[in-house]
Amino acid sequence: MANKPKIKGAEALLLSLIAEGTDTIFGYPGGQVIPIYDHLYHFTDRINHILTRHEQGAVHAAQGYARATGKVGVCLVTSGPGATNLVTGIADAMLDSTPLVCITGQVPCSLLGTDAFQEADTISMTMPISKWNYQVTQASEIPSAIARAFYIARSGRPGPVVIDISKNAQVEEFDFSYKPCIYLRSYKPHPELDLTLIDQAVQMINAADKPLLLVGQGVKLANAESKLLEFAEAAGVPMASTLMGISAVPNNHPLFVGNLGMHGNLAANEMTQRSDLIIAVGMRFSDRVTGDVKNYAPNAKIIHIDVDAAELNKNIKVDLPIHADAADALEAMKRGISYKDRSKWMAVAAENNKKEYEDVVLPSTDPQGEYISMYDVISTLAEVEKGNAVIVTDVGQNQMFSARYSKFNQTRSFITSGGLGTMGFGLPAAMGAKLGVPDREVVAIMGDGGFQMTMQELGTIMQNHIGLKMIVLNNTYLGMVRQWQQLFFGKRYSFTQLENPDFPSIAAAYGIANRRVERLSDLKAAIQELADAPGAYFLEVDVLPEENVFPMVPAGASLSDTICKE
Amino acid sequence: MVKEYIVIAFTENQIGVLNRITALYLRRKINIESLKVSESSIKGISMFVISAFTTQEIIEKLVRQLRNIVEVIQVEYYSDDELITQEIALYKISSKIVRESGMVDMIIRSWNARIIEMNPSFVVVEKTGTREEIENLRTELETRKVLLEFTRSGSVVLHRESMENTLNQL
Ligand SMILES: Cc1ncc(C[n+]2csc(CCOP(=O)(O)OP(=O)(O)O)c2C)c(N)n1
Ligand SMILES: [Mg+2]
Repeated sequence: MANKPKIKGAEALLLSLIAEGTDTIFGYPGGQVIPIYDHLYHFTDRINHILTRHEQGAVHAAQGYARATGKVGVCLVTSGPGATNLVTGIADAMLDSTPLVCITGQVPCSLLGTDAFQEADTISMTMPISKWNYQVTQASEIPSAIARAFYIARSGRPGPVVIDISKNAQVEEFDFSYKPCIYLRSYKPHPELDLTLIDQAVQMINAADKPLLLVGQGVKLANAESKLLEFAEAAGVPMASTLMGISAVPNNHPLFVGNLGMHGNLAANEMTQRSDLIIAVGMRFSDRVTGDVKNYAPNAKIIHIDVDAAELNKNIKVDLPIHADAADALEAMKRGISYKDRSKWMAVAAENNKKEYEDVVLPSTDPQGEYISMYDVISTLAEVEKGNAVIVTDVGQNQMFSARYSKFNQTRSFITSGGLGTMGFGLPAAMGAKLGVPDREVVAIMGDGGFQMTMQELGTIMQNHIGLKMIVLNNTYLGMVRQWQQLFFGKRYSFTQLENPDFPSIAAAYGIANRRVERLSDLKAAIQELADAPGAYFLEVDVLPEENVFPMVPAGASLSDTICKE
Repeated sequence: MVKEYIVIAFTENQIGVLNRITALYLRRKINIESLKVSESSIKGISMFVISAFTTQEIIEKLVRQLRNIVEVIQVEYYSDDELITQEIALYKISSKIVRESGMVDMIIRSWNARIIEMNPSFVVVEKTGTREEIENLRTELETRKVLLEFTRSGSVVLHRESMENTLNQL
């Protein structure tokens, strides 16, 4: 072991990433990362570098990869414009608690602060949107910076970390050795479970007649899906999901009552309003979930379990805040819980599901079998894929229809930009997800607007033979904004109509199998073709231009004021 | 109710921590009235004293977010009556006070201040005290039209109970 030859910072970076289990990097080269790329050239047997077509594509792909696999997503870009192009994805990952390590090049440290070519103050820019960031200016700092980056990104409430590496540090030589980080004295990611609080929670749940579990993404992040189901079954408590929690509970679970919030299901929202005890696990009472907080869950006491203490009592004042990892808390609560038959309470779900089916679902399909609703597309896809596909969405009506009508048997199967609502997220995130779980079917569902924000990534799909299935729901509108304009702004469609290109020919130009469907009667066969395709497949579906997503809780309104039609 | 809250944070003495802390105030559009950063009694650990006007509800949420900063070891907030707070102020005063009988004496004795420099054009007086005491002397000198310049520090604070006890376990 003695007298190991010195190695360069760039090589040390790659060895550090490998030591942390990185097998895939999404990136884009440039002047200030050329030394790293020079070493990547010799690492292709151990690291699969995916060259995207834009840095935003790289960071969203890393997010998709992380969300599908549970591993840390890694991206690598140059300084200046490379780094600024990451900003949207970093902010998105921060709000959606996605573990990322983003490596940005930086000008040599002798030039810092001089407005050197392609210098941007990446640390300051990413400070408020990252969980942690750090600038490396010497090669010897690289192993410990990467070790801390991975530890911080994936522990506690996960999030994005930015490591900015000046060019001189990439080329300096030093004695490399790697030690993973397992402890930082100022950072306590895993809270100790307070069993007295658990006892109180158990008593409250045992006493409740109308309890409701709210399931957030924290359940997935804590790998607590099976503990959640065991607990819910042991207690006989129904479960509702936030947008970010979707797929943690299989849709066909008898205790699952649907999705919460603005475009959630009637049953889940109505049960929130009628419940006498809310047990929220790994979610943050976002305004999209609560609507008007003053009239939120008016009859309920609230137990809130979250690994991030800053979320407790932040948006909603709760009766019993529990600072804990979801898996720890669910397991401990199961011990004292007693089963109660709550079939009368569950009947509220059935009754609301029936109403929703009659008022919203049934009228969606054109009885003439001609026009296509987004509902038809998503529900047909769910049927064809039998609930086994990973669904990655863009943002807008396409996203909400996907959330409402997709079906899932497995966790980590619904990937969407929840907190930031980033149009353009879908295609690159789906690409990253497919690379992360290559044996699973991955389908990207996008609007005609959002697809055009990052459609250059078709090039990445072509070059890397990524077998991604893509559906563009073309309504020729920025549909979700148009819906608000229709409902709340006197139908003044101000700059929301799109004149679109011939999408299938764009896919064709990239050598991707493609098809367009305009009539409902052709839909099922086309989706079957998409599912059967051995490689990438692009399907444009021309859907009703002026369809709306219902039910809807208007922004700022109470969950009790849900509207079901125009 | 909006009032002054003093946040005391102990952090790793590392670059960028100040920015992360102030960014959380900025995000909620809370103006920082005074800020002092220095090494605590433990080597390598910085102590921040930040005062700002806001409500208890907001400061409580803000403090929880401050705790989430990776380098932050401990944060608490206080209202000013919970802390022993002293500031130091320097007053540059016109030298004509020397000619007015009893004036120098008044400053030194009744205000518990001391003269640290004296020359033909001005006198510099130093005073430590609560912010209120410091402000009162300032007003007094202003009404007498002798105050030329004035500067004061941020708060130097100690809690009546020890704040650093838990830190010693690190
Ligand atoms: C980057 C970005 N810009 C603007 C918006 C605001 N926005 C939300 S939904 C939407 C319309 C999306 O249109 P499209 O992609 O066609 O999807 P549709 O709603 O029609 O399904 C817009 C403009 C956003 N979420 N993200
Ligand atoms: Mg559209």
